[in-house]
This record gives sequence, C-alpha cells and structure tokens, in this order.
Amino acid sequence: MIFLKWFLTKSWRHAIAWAVCFFALFPLYMIVLTSFKKTTSLQVGSFLPTGFSLTNFNSLLTNPTVPFYTWMSNSVIIAAFVSVVSVFIGAASAFAFSRLRFRGKKASIQLLLLIQMFPAVLALSAVYSIMDRVHAFAPSIGLGTIGGLVLVYLGGAMGVNIWLLKGFVDSIPIELDEAARVDGASPMQIYWRIFLPLASPVLAVVCLLSFIGTFNEYILASLFLNDPSQQTIAVGLHGFISGQFATNWGPFAAGSLLASLPIVVLFLSLQKYIVNGLTAGAVKG
Amino acid sequence: MRLLKGIKIAVILKIVLVTIALAVLGFLMQAALLAGDTQIGIFFGIAIFLIALVYFTRISIPLKFFLPGVLLLATFVITPVVYTISMSAYQYKTGNILSKPEALKMLKSNDAFAQVPNEKKFDLKLGWCDEKYGDPKDVANAPVCALVSYYPDNIYFLSTATTLTPLTRDRIIFNKVGLPADVTKVGAKYTWEPFYEDEYATFDKTIVSTRFKYSKPGTFMQAEGYSVMAVYAQRIVYDAKADTFTDIKTGFVYKDNGRGNYANTKNGKDVMYPGWREVVWFENFVNLVNDPSVRDPLVAVFIWTCIFAVTTVVTQFALGLLIALTLHTKMRGRWIYRSIIILPYAMPSIMSIMIWGGMLNTDFGAVNNLIGLLVGHPVHLTWLTDPTLARTSVLLVNLWLGFPYFYLISTGALQAIPAELTEAAAIDGASGGQTFRKITLPLLMQMLSPLLISSFAFNFNNFNLIYLLTGGGPKDTLSGQSAGATDILISYTYNLAFNKGTQNFGLASAVSIVIFVAVAAISLYGIRRSKVLESFV
Repeated sequence: MIFLKWFLTKSWRHAIAWAVCFFALFPLYMIVLTSFKKTTSLQVGSFLPTGFSLTNFNSLLTNPTVPFYTWMSNSVIIAAFVSVVSVFIGAASAFAFSRLRFRGKKASIQLLLLIQMFPAVLALSAVYSIMDRVHAFAPSIGLGTIGGLVLVYLGGAMGVNIWLLKGFVDSIPIELDEAARVDGASPMQIYWRIFLPLASPVLAVVCLLSFIGTFNEYILASLFLNDPSQQTIAVGLHGFISGQFATNWGPFAAGSLLASLPIVVLFLSLQKYIVNGLTAGAVKG
Repeated sequence: MRLLKGIKIAVILKIVLVTIALAVLGFLMQAALLAGDTQIGIFFGIAIFLIALVYFTRISIPLKFFLPGVLLLATFVITPVVYTISMSAYQYKTGNILSKPEALKMLKSNDAFAQVPNEKKFDLKLGWCDEKYGDPKDVANAPVCALVSYYPDNIYFLSTATTLTPLTRDRIIFNKVGLPADVTKVGAKYTWEPFYEDEYATFDKTIVSTRFKYSKPGTFMQAEGYSVMAVYAQRIVYDAKADTFTDIKTGFVYKDNGRGNYANTKNGKDVMYPGWREVVWFENFVNLVNDPSVRDPLVAVFIWTCIFAVTTVVTQFALGLLIALTLHTKMRGRWIYRSIIILPYAMPSIMSIMIWGGMLNTDFGAVNNLIGLLVGHPVHLTWLTDPTLARTSVLLVNLWLGFPYFYLISTGALQAIPAELTEAAAIDGASGGQTFRKITLPLLMQMLSPLLISSFAFNFNNFNLIYLLTGGGPKDTLSGQSAGATDILISYTYNLAFNKGTQNFGLASAVSIVIFVAVAAISLYGIRRSKVLESFV
C-alpha cells in the first residue's frame, strides 16, 4: 500500500529526473571517457570504459608544441583581471546611476541600454583596425597582445556590468546612505565606506559571472592573438579539433576536462549566490 | 579622528593614482603623435584633459564615478559602433577597399596596359649595351639592354627603354641548347655583354620596371621573369581634366560613376577594378529590399533566426519548468538530481559546444552510436551536414546548454509563489491541473517574462553556438547559396564581412543596423513589460 502510494506520487518524478540527468550527463560522460582512453579519437567502441590510460593527459601536458599551462594561465589572468577591474569600474557607475541625482540620468541610462544592443561581433572590424593603429606606436597594448585584448574586453564588459550592478545596487536599502549623508558624509565617503562593504557579496557574484563570460569568449581572442604562447585555452583547444588533417579529440577532451573543472567547482560551490544574480537578469555566456 | 585620518590617506591615494594614469596616457599620447597618428593622439589628449578636470576640480561629482567607465565605453564600444554604422552608407567591399587616390594610382600604373593578344613571346637574355659596358662608374645608371630573339622567324635585336638595334643571325653566339647567349664583337669593340649571375638580383627592380622598346608603335615589351619577353600595349588613357579613362581599342569612355568605380558610359555594368570606397548613402539598405540575391537569403536567415530564438526559449523554458515542477516537492536524492542537472550550465559553454560538435559526427559520433545501440543496427545520420538535421542539432545542443538556467530561475519563482494561494485554490475545490493553469503559471509568467525576453534577445545573437557548432552550414556553395541552413543573422553577417573570399563591409554594416533595431525593439518591449525604467524617473 505504501509502495503503491509512493509509486503513484513519487515514481514518475524520479523517472523524469533520471531521464533529464541522463541527458545532462551524456556529453560530460563522453568527455571523461574520451580523455582517459588510449586513443585520440572520439570513436566509441563501447560506452563502458575499456581501459584506463593517461596517454591523452601526457600528450597534452608534455608536448612542447602545446603550451597548455600557458594557455590556462593566460585565460585565468585575462579573465581575472577583466572581471575584477570591470566590476570595480562598473560598480562606481552603477552607484552613481542608482544613488546620485544629476541631469540627463534617464537619457544616459537609455543610451547605455541602446548601445548594449548593438551586436558586438559586428563592430569587430572597427575594433580590429583601431587596435592595429595602436600597435603601431604602443606595441605592448595593440593588436596581438594580451594587454590589448584585455582593454577591448574591459570596454565590452562595461555596459553589461553597469546594467547588471545597477539592479543589485537598487536592492541595497538606501536608508543607510541617507543616514550617513545626514551625518555629513560626502558621496565619495558613502561609496567607499558604506556602499562597497555592503555590496561586496554582490560584486563577487558579478565578478564570477564576468570571469566565466570572459573565459568563454572565443571570437575576439582568436582574431586578436595569433602567437600560440599568447592564446587562451578556448582558442588553443579549438586548434586540436579544427585541424584540417588530424583531429585530436583525446587531448582536447583531457584539456577541456582540466580547464572546466575549476569553473564547475567554483560554480557549484557558489550556486546559491549565482542563482540570485541570474534572477536579476544575468545571462551567462 | 579615525575618519579624518582615512580621508587623508584616501586623498593621497587618489592623487597618486590619477597622476599615474595621467602619466601613462601622456606617454601614449606622445608616442601616438610621434608615430603620426594625430586622431588617436588627440583622443588621448581629450582623455587626459577630462581626467584632470574631473578629479582635480569639483566640477561634477557624478562624473568622478562615471569617467573611467565612460572612457572605456567610448573607446571600445561607441567608436566602433559609430564607425560600423557609418560604413553602411559606403560602397565598401572586395574591389572597393582602397581610397580613390590609391585606386587611381593602381589603375594608371598597372592596369592601363595589357599584353597584346596573339603577339609573339620572345626569348630574352639580359645584359648591357656597348657604350656603357666597361665603365664601372656608370653601370648603375646604364640602361639594361635586352637581347631579344624569336628563333622560328629569325628575328634578333637589342632593346633598351629608348633604343632598338636589329641584329643579323650571324652576329649571334648560341649556347648548347640553341638559345642566343652572346653577340660577336665588331673589331675590338663589344656590342653587347650579358649579365653576370649576381647582376640579375642586383638589378631586379630595374628589370621588372623597364619598358623595352618594340618595333610596333604604341607598344613596348616587358620582361616576364628573366628569360621571356612579352609585348604590351597601352589599353586605356587617363584624362586628368575630365577624370575619365578611354579604352584605346574600343573607344569606350569610363567615367567616375559616383559609386566607387570608373564605369563605361555606354554600359554601366562594365566597370574598372580596383574601385574605391565611396559614399552611396542608402544604397546598401535599398539592396536589402530590392536585390533578390541579397534579399532572399536575408529573409530566409531572418525567419530561421526567429524560429531558432523562439524555439530555443520555449524548449529551454518548458524542460526547465518541467524539472522544476517535478522536483518541487520533498523527495529522496533531490539535491543529487539538482547538482547533476545544473552541471551543463556550470560547464564553460565553449567546451560543451565543441564536444557536442564531435558527438554529432556522422561516422564516429557518440549520438549515432547511442541511437545505433538503441535500434540495434548502426545508423549514419548526417547531423551537421543535412539542413534539417543540422537545425535540429543546433536546437538540441542549445536546449542542453540552457535548460538548467530555466530550471534554476523557475525553481526560484515557484518558491516565491505564496503557498496560501494554491492552498486556497485547493480548498475551493480546484484540481491540481486547474491550480497550475489558473494560478501558478500566470504568476510564473509574470515573474519570468522579462527573463524570457532577455533570453530571446541573447539567443537572437547567439554567435558562439552557431559559429563553433556548424559554422552556419551546411551551405550549398555550388548552387550559389550565400547563407547556410543554420546561419542566424549575426553569423550570416559575420560571413558577409569577414568571409575569406568576398567581403562586403557596407552591406554587413547595413544588416548590423537591422539586427540592432530588431534586438532593440525586442528588448525595449521586454523592459517596458518589466517596468524597469519606471524606477529611474
């Protein structure tokens, strides 16, 4: 009787959950399976593991023409720098939009929103030619350098971050600011001493989303960085499977497993906070 | 007291940071100006001025917060966007990339001349003529003298840019394979002396650019490599006063057509290349509507883009909501299910897209293998190369990438619906289905519609997915298709602008603006619905 009741009320839930979990896990299982295989192909003789081998990891990590660690550190450095700096700069603007009164506030917010809607990929050629000109006199921040790419990312992240952060800032109670203002604090003091400490958990979440977004960026990075020692992990790993003559799915799977693991762990451990961010309108890239 | 101390440190820190920023920008401005890039130099100048003004005076407090973000936005977003928009008014494509002076220079030098058809190709031996030979001081200025011959017709002569000296066959000394190698002396005097081996390289530029004299009027000879001489004739003449080219043979006049090319006055389609960038105002937009070769693929792509974005949002939302409802009760193992279901979302999407690309491969892909296992015999579905299947694949992969997001937000929204509402409905005798349809779903839609719309806008421009999974294909280029089956507007436009074969920046910019307007309209509608802007007033 109890079993029947369970069967009627709960079993279908478990059935659906199992089916969806299978769908969710299938590609991930394939990555794991492929990366621990002996061969480099994605071919599946059997969906069950037939052996355990670190060949693919070895060929990824020890091959001198594949600077995996460099790619990884490039990606992490770029994404970390861009996310921290853009959130820092974006927070200042978001604070001003949310808390200060000034003329043209509504118009500038609408302008920001409008610019945001231009398909960024299509302004690529203009960005490219600007950075090409910068390269002519400042080779360290022009085209083909990580510095240049970081600047372009910062510019691109600005709109999204300001918009997103403004939503968060609005949800922080204004009474605290007002109390401080009554006590004679300037806007700068309110920003540094009251707003930033209060907003820091929120800023951390936006930072993380921005980090993942930058980590996922492919097209700008592939156009900007040609030298293998400067490439990001996304561009580098794509090279494994886009080769005209050989596709090395084994090392690719091993590489994407290593590269994704930290992000997945970070995401899962902070999911509670991230979900709050998502409901405020963030779209992860 | 502590507060005061803090302020002092803050002020010092501010001065140090601003000064460093000014110094770096100043250095960059100097470098830009030295390199002759005045525009960028002036831009840095303006930035320096604004920073100093805003941070060292009290002119505007909001600007102290905005300036860094505004400068970055202006440089890397607004300027490129404005540039791209302005390009839509230009005839700017492969063949019309240069500026007019550059194009004119090329037309006058390279293209004004053409090889005369049916004319002989002569054997060539390069060397120096007698009067210059032996005077080492003057070698650099000596005209290169070609020994030209056409063995079948017994034609032999020496030619420079200005002189032509016929020779008789008995004057020629032949090499082992029977080609002219030298000219006999007249008494003690050399008539002609061949190049030393190293002189070919030294005088390469002179050889290539010299127009050697030929017997027929209006023609000249030019070296093709070091051993063949071809006859050229002037094909077109430029009239600087009228800014026209005239074809000598046909008499056709080519006039600046105001659209970046010199065009035949009798037949506007007959234009000379290279052309140049020229303002054509709204022609690119008119072509979008009038030219079937532009319009038809664009309409097809636009329809698919909408189908793709709508289907994506609907499927992602439906699956996400289904799971949210399924797990919206206490059940064993719920947190395990939850952790597994959000894994696709936690995974960097770029890696997922690429691995899906491999899994959908026809020959070795895991998807075909799995289906083969289920139906009991091997299958060879062409997931990425058949138009319908490719579209299915794109939607399937996008469903996988996005449904956890909707699961997460639906769960959040379900939890936010007060239990009293559903309980009251149950007391009034509503069935589970009625409660869901009449109470839960409307409330959910109200809460989630802004997110649905922003997800629609995101997928409308989901470049990464299309670019990395199918590249917009499959595309039947043999039958002249310019858009692939899975091309969405943004990937189609990307190919218009950055394709390896022919590029059309002008048209691509025009399409960008169309996309811009479409996305802006969708988003503004979404914002109005969510009433976000009301709080700004």
